[in-house]
Amino acid sequence: MNIEISALIDGEGSQRELDEALAALARDPQACECWRIYHLIGDAMHGHGLLSREFGAQLSDRLSREPTVVAPRAMRSRRERSRWVALSAAASVAAVALVGWLAYGPTANVVAPPVATVPPPIAEAKPKVPARVALPSATNDYLLAHQIYSPRVTLQGLAPYIRTVSDDVVEKGGR
Amino acid sequence: MNRRIARTLLTHSFVTVLAATAALAHAQNSSDAVEWLSRIYQATHNLSYVGTFVYQQGEHSETSRITRLTSTHGNIEKLEALDGEPREILRTNDAVRCYLPKSRTVKIDRRFDHRGFPTLLQGEIGGLTQNYTVALGHSERIAGYSCEVVVLTPKDDLRYGYRLWADANSGMLLKALTFDGKGHTVEQFTFTQLTIGKVTQAEVKPQRTTAGWHVEDAEVAPVDLEQEGWRVESVLPGFRKVVEVRRTLRSSRTVEQVVYSDGLAAVSVFIEPLTAEDKPVQTGLASLGATNIYTREVANHLVTVVGEAPAASVQRIADAVNYHQPQ
Repeated sequence: MNIEISALIDGEGSQRELDEALAALARDPQACECWRIYHLIGDAMHGHGLLSREFGAQLSDRLSREPTVVAPRAMRSRRERSRWVALSAAASVAAVALVGWLAYGPTANVVAPPVATVPPPIAEAKPKVPARVALPSATNDYLLAHQIYSPRVTLQGLAPYIRTVSDDVVEKGGR
Repeated sequence: MNRRIARTLLTHSFVTVLAATAALAHAQNSSDAVEWLSRIYQATHNLSYVGTFVYQQGEHSETSRITRLTSTHGNIEKLEALDGEPREILRTNDAVRCYLPKSRTVKIDRRFDHRGFPTLLQGEIGGLTQNYTVALGHSERIAGYSCEVVVLTPKDDLRYGYRLWADANSGMLLKALTFDGKGHTVEQFTFTQLTIGKVTQAEVKPQRTTAGWHVEDAEVAPVDLEQEGWRVESVLPGFRKVVEVRRTLRSSRTVEQVVYSDGLAAVSVFIEPLTAEDKPVQTGLASLGATNIYTREVANHLVTVVGEAPAASVQRIADAVNYHQPQ
């Protein structure tokens, strides 16, 4: 069935193949997933920005909540589809690798298209927002004692010590 | 139908090759960037130079001159504040001397381990890739020098990121910028003028005689805090203990200091006993550019954590400090 869907996307294939593909898309969530992944691969290869994974479901949802004027046949919600289709292993891995690279690759040179991402896990036991206090009166002494062991100074030389030297800063209670 | 199968397969293998090529290019960029970090490090230690740089942090900016003489007789580096009080800091192989004319004080600080300064990072540059994604950016021009740009993006929110601009010829660091998790600049150092080579001994001498000045010469000795009942642990992944010492602070106070580092950022924990004359401890956070300072009281001791790391990281280390009466 994947081949018929691929043909449908490319606008090729016989009428019978296209009918079969359309019929499969209407009844089979796996076929829908296949359709989505082929578009994902195509978009990634062409460098198009990608929509979020939930875009289709959200669009359906929003449409279903629009006031219905004429409704020849209501669209079935696709939210039940969730299983990752068993595509050929090579294609799945390649698509994931490519999308992963686009998203997490060298950020300096590549502008990553917005891709579907899993929301980050909620940070474990984040400390409360701390109270703001004035700089300790011995701030300079702490900084002097600290910076002598800071690798930053071995990379940059003495420059970071400029943070330490101004007593005015401490007297003013910080910048 | 066969034609379609062939096409589908071809598409799949093309995508695979594309992904593999991209991954290779990424790895090459990363190893080139790490190589540039080594060049920056070498240049900082092997060159003689004199230059003027601006330190910026929030709305505050400050101009300073830095002079370094590298010679077979030893290396001397001098930092002079050109704005405000004319402070000077001198670094020789074994000590840092801070000259404060307003209070007529010289503060002298020495490393405990006598390894000299350069050794800490050597051999650890490659290890930085555990906590940072290291990549080359687009070349830029700073103070008349064409620079390569190295970007260190942290792999978590426990540390800051860095952009470093290095002279393409000498590797000399011309600009260094620290950025937070949102990509906002926390602080930056930028050379506005730099001359490499030809520095004389006279240029690295302190400018004034210090006869009659107050001298605070820190005494530093090794210590085992755990034996004394203190549990100070690095709760931050990637940070390991660098040193653990007992030292004097401002001549009058004795403090214990533990330093953690991930190879680039460092966090120090200071512990000192509270006396009846001390003011009550104000628990909380103070910031100075990229440096965050968190203070709290533990078992009638003042715990002060100082580090070039995000506030939450500094606080996490402070909150993990605890004391159990030794058996």
